[in-house]
Amino acid sequence: MKKLLPLIGIFAFAGNVHLAEPNLAPVNKGSTLISPQMIEAIPAWRNYGELFLYLQTHWVKLLFLIILIAVPTVFLLHYLIIGPKKFSHEGRKFLVFPSWQRIIHWIAALGFVLIIPTGIMIIYAKLFGGGTPVRFARYLHDIGAVLFGIAVIPMFLMWLKEMLPRLWDIKWFMILGGYLSKEKKEIPAAKFNAGQKMWYWIATLGGIVMIITGAMMYFQDFDIALLNSLNLYQIDLLRLAVITHLFLAMLIVAFFLTHVYMSVFAIKGSLDSMIDGCKSEDELKYLHSVFYKKIIKEGKDKELAEKC
Amino acid sequence: MYEYARMKFYCDEYRCIECNACTVACAEAHELPVGIHRRKVITLNEGIEGKEFSTSIACMHCTDAPCAQVCPVDCFYIREDGIVLHDKDKCIGCGYCLYACPFGAPQFPRDGAFGVRGVMDKCTMCAGGPAPTNSIEEFELYGQNRIAEGKVPMCAAVCSTNALIVGDADSVAEIKRARDAAKGKGPMTPYGWDVAYK
Repeated sequence: MKKLLPLIGIFAFAGNVHLAEPNLAPVNKGSTLISPQMIEAIPAWRNYGELFLYLQTHWVKLLFLIILIAVPTVFLLHYLIIGPKKFSHEGRKFLVFPSWQRIIHWIAALGFVLIIPTGIMIIYAKLFGGGTPVRFARYLHDIGAVLFGIAVIPMFLMWLKEMLPRLWDIKWFMILGGYLSKEKKEIPAAKFNAGQKMWYWIATLGGIVMIITGAMMYFQDFDIALLNSLNLYQIDLLRLAVITHLFLAMLIVAFFLTHVYMSVFAIKGSLDSMIDGCKSEDELKYLHSVFYKKIIKEGKDKELAEKC
Repeated sequence: MYEYARMKFYCDEYRCIECNACTVACAEAHELPVGIHRRKVITLNEGIEGKEFSTSIACMHCTDAPCAQVCPVDCFYIREDGIVLHDKDKCIGCGYCLYACPFGAPQFPRDGAFGVRGVMDKCTMCAGGPAPTNSIEEFELYGQNRIAEGKVPMCAAVCSTNALIVGDADSVAEIKRARDAAKGKGPMTPYGWDVAYK
């Protein structure tokens, strides 16, 4: 127990109280929002304040509406016209995602499931009447961000090597991953195709930017020396943060919807690989041909199949 | 021609002596939580001879208030006399009004066990809010409704040098013009206004 005391101390430590001189009142620099900066920043409103006003009143709700309608519509049409890809789930299966990767993925996924609908609720708060329900959504948004924040760094590292762009990704883009034809042919992709790679970079790097800008808005009042070197007022930084957060969110929502469509609807049974970690030989052979050829060549197929 | 009055604040930086009476009177009159200052007195160029001045700042009750335009719940409303108020029952505390505000007026008290950001609080020009006038509910959420009682807003009422004046825009402008003329300097624009209101 004695050994634990310093550890508990870390959590009980409330921060330094700087004393200017003994027996004088503590020097509290207070908020940088309430300081001469506040008056000096009034003219700076023209830089980003007006920009935020323009974007928020003209574009944000409209663009989110377009994304929320257009993306699912395109996929519905794709499903009806071209239809989902079906692969045999009989025969050999290979372990592609070990359990620890699946756990990290699902922590991030749970974060996203909390973040995205609550974020949409905040943007269209008027539709939900505001008040307690949307305030609760705001709290869930923060909780989701913490969950995602736990998973994002491990997720970034665990797939980094396989997510680096490769030459065959250009070919994948040329045929749009083969999703525009019903034909069953070998698609140039290793463990992850170029679409998955795009989603990975947007979700991890974009997600980290979202966490940083979100944290800035959450804490509002922070003091960093960086501001002076950038010649920015704190309020300017908050304005830039909200603009970045909103527009990056559009990209992430569009890709999230794509990810859900691809895994749940577009390729029948592909969701299984994130549940039990195994992918069928048929699916791997066509959709991840480079990866399939590699494990056959290296003779890893038996080893991977045994684990399923 | 009949013109509607628009209520405006004006703080004369040539008269403000940084006594903080407006800040304290406001906080006391409306029983504001610790850390919330609806009105703030700020000194610029402190210690620089000839350049130092103080001014008092709060919500400026803008004509086309940016806060009201960006609010995702549309919880703001602008009274016929130009006072910008908001509905704390609708407010979700997202902070957009703060980012849109040129004057940094909106503030967010932190409460609860995790110190989560609460709903927005700002100067009401002592005009209460959407709750029934002079009800306990109105007082607890928005503070006193002195306008309804025919009184001057607290901050201007206590200003010992009459630096802070409030009233309809025309009357305020007239006083300002008279003061500038007395200094023999012609019309002078308050600090930052030439850019903010260009």
